[in-house]
Amino acid sequence: MKKAKRLLSVLLVLTMVVMLFAGCGTKEEETEYYSVIAKGFQHQFWQVVKKGSEQAAADLGVEIFFTGPEGESAIATQVDMINAELAKNPKAIALAALSTESVLSQLQEAADKGIPVIGFDSGVPNAPAGQISANASTDNENAAGLGAEHMYEAIKADIAAASVSSPVIVVILSQDATSASVTGRSKGFAEKMYALITADGQSAAITGDFAAITTGDVANSAVNVKIVVGATPDITDMTNAASGVLNTDNLLGVFCSNEGAVNGLLAAVNAGSTLGADVKVVGFDAGAGQKAAVRGGTFMGSITQDPFAIGYKAVELAVKAANGEAVSDVDTGAKWYDASNMDEPDIAQLLYD
Amino acid sequence: MLQTLKKVGMQKFLAFGALIIIYVFFAFTGKNFTSTATTLNILASSYYVGFLALGATFVIITGGIDLSLGALMMASALLGGALYRDMGFPLWLCMVIMVLFAMLVGLANGILVTKLKLPPFIATLGTMMIMLGLGSIITNTSSKYFPTILEPDGWFIRVFFKTKSGFPVGAVYLMVFFIITFIVLNKTKIGRYIFAIGNNEEAVRLSGIKVNLWKGMAYVITGLGVGLGSILYSATYIVVIPNTGNGIELQAIAAVVIGGTSLSGGVGSLTGTLIGVFIMSILKNGLISMSLPAPYQTFFTGIVVIGAVLMDVYRNKKANELKKIKA
Repeated sequence: MKKAKRLLSVLLVLTMVVMLFAGCGTKEEETEYYSVIAKGFQHQFWQVVKKGSEQAAADLGVEIFFTGPEGESAIATQVDMINAELAKNPKAIALAALSTESVLSQLQEAADKGIPVIGFDSGVPNAPAGQISANASTDNENAAGLGAEHMYEAIKADIAAASVSSPVIVVILSQDATSASVTGRSKGFAEKMYALITADGQSAAITGDFAAITTGDVANSAVNVKIVVGATPDITDMTNAASGVLNTDNLLGVFCSNEGAVNGLLAAVNAGSTLGADVKVVGFDAGAGQKAAVRGGTFMGSITQDPFAIGYKAVELAVKAANGEAVSDVDTGAKWYDASNMDEPDIAQLLYD
Repeated sequence: MLQTLKKVGMQKFLAFGALIIIYVFFAFTGKNFTSTATTLNILASSYYVGFLALGATFVIITGGIDLSLGALMMASALLGGALYRDMGFPLWLCMVIMVLFAMLVGLANGILVTKLKLPPFIATLGTMMIMLGLGSIITNTSSKYFPTILEPDGWFIRVFFKTKSGFPVGAVYLMVFFIITFIVLNKTKIGRYIFAIGNNEEAVRLSGIKVNLWKGMAYVITGLGVGLGSILYSATYIVVIPNTGNGIELQAIAAVVIGGTSLSGGVGSLTGTLIGVFIMSILKNGLISMSLPAPYQTFFTGIVVIGAVLMDVYRNKKANELKKIKA
């Protein structure tokens, strides 16, 4: 039996060695194969991204494999996936990285092998220059600006009626002042609102917890566009922040820059804070609570990213890059939805629960 | 004794057969599965689970279990990352501390199980939660990252993950650790006592051997495996996120069980464990090479674990029947 044991050990080591060298002579087949590696699978958001990328693959006649880890903290799983995909020699890879640091070796390897990498959704932030060919993502500033335009239409008369002695306030409720998407939206909304107000000859100032874009003199302005950031992104802190916002006098409108801010506001209302009938609320993204609030009229409407376009453009860019065409970043756009259009099929598919 | 030896041998051959069958299956169905790149991936994604599983084999042979493996590995990596990034410790010192920390927690597990007589399942469940919490506390719930290839300390990746030319250095460390643990388990007093404790703890105690000492030793060895695993994990994945890692212990335990080590103790083999680790790694990479999404990996690993344990149970029954007939 001891002999058998020893034999087994030798066999095991041998197999490992054989495995090591097995592939050296193997010919790797050439197909139009592309890898699309997402950040996750759980949210409907990613399901729609997948749909978009599959549509693009069908339109362009290429083969794709859409994959992603089980959740957004599963870094090891995603790294293993990228390694495995690189081993398949795809023509190009579309990637939404969970963490830039963890994929630097893989990006280098892709560059060495001449495999173009396209970022999609949040892409690969701060990747070394030249290693990401292009990005297909939502321009958060533009998207939030769309929300500002809709809100401005609804509160235009009240803004025109305001004065320095009886000022009004528009609040942007955000869950943090660090993440690129949320700060981009806060900035985009605040600046668009400021531009619209001042273009109509009214005085305005941007104030609040996001110093980088503070503008104007609030004491001598009729409109204060104020950015409020919760103590932490936790729902309890967001709820407290939202209660504070709802207690503000002369509040005309609230823009919630992501689902966390939306849920904080809805929780504050549920807990007894009064949302004035005239206060216009605009949200961002979707989710069951937000959709109900839009449908029921609590929110005048919300902005949704276009995950279908994100998936579609990602594959399109990947194919272009693989064929040696010059590619550049694409804004995949955003859509406005309210009670009147949210059940139309092309909008409804963008709204996850 | 011959019976048990035969049993382990049999399970190993079966596990080895399964490994070959699974490999051949993916060689035909997977895309570029037999390529060097995929082979390197199979090795690379087995590093940390390998260290965890080899270490855990010791505890499981004593009839115990260690549920804190995954959480401890992450806590140790987070500690190392925090010392490196926030306190400016040199990387080599961080690595030493990571290993010592994991061994210390292993010792704590050992004391809880031996001196304080807690059931291993409960003791290590508690440690698992403590480690999950501790990892978040020491990092203030922010993720920590180890040097990337773009930083001066990028040698870390080249030395512990793979070299610039792609040679899987981690596999070499895993083999070295395998050989050392193999000698400890099969050729030394430690190993003999650990097997004996797993077989009949009371008899060992009555023969005047310090059960607590040797049993505690098994937990420390497991801690050593976890500490080394945390270094390899950090070099492979760079970023470590707080409050993750639970679930990894189950992969390690599954590998041990697939390899024929009995959860009731007294029977086990490190060669088997290593085979188990590679079976899981081949499954992981093979299913991706077939372009099947990640959940399938978990699904099929579950089937392999059940299959492996079923065979074990069935053979145990047979062996017992044989004994009865002979008696």
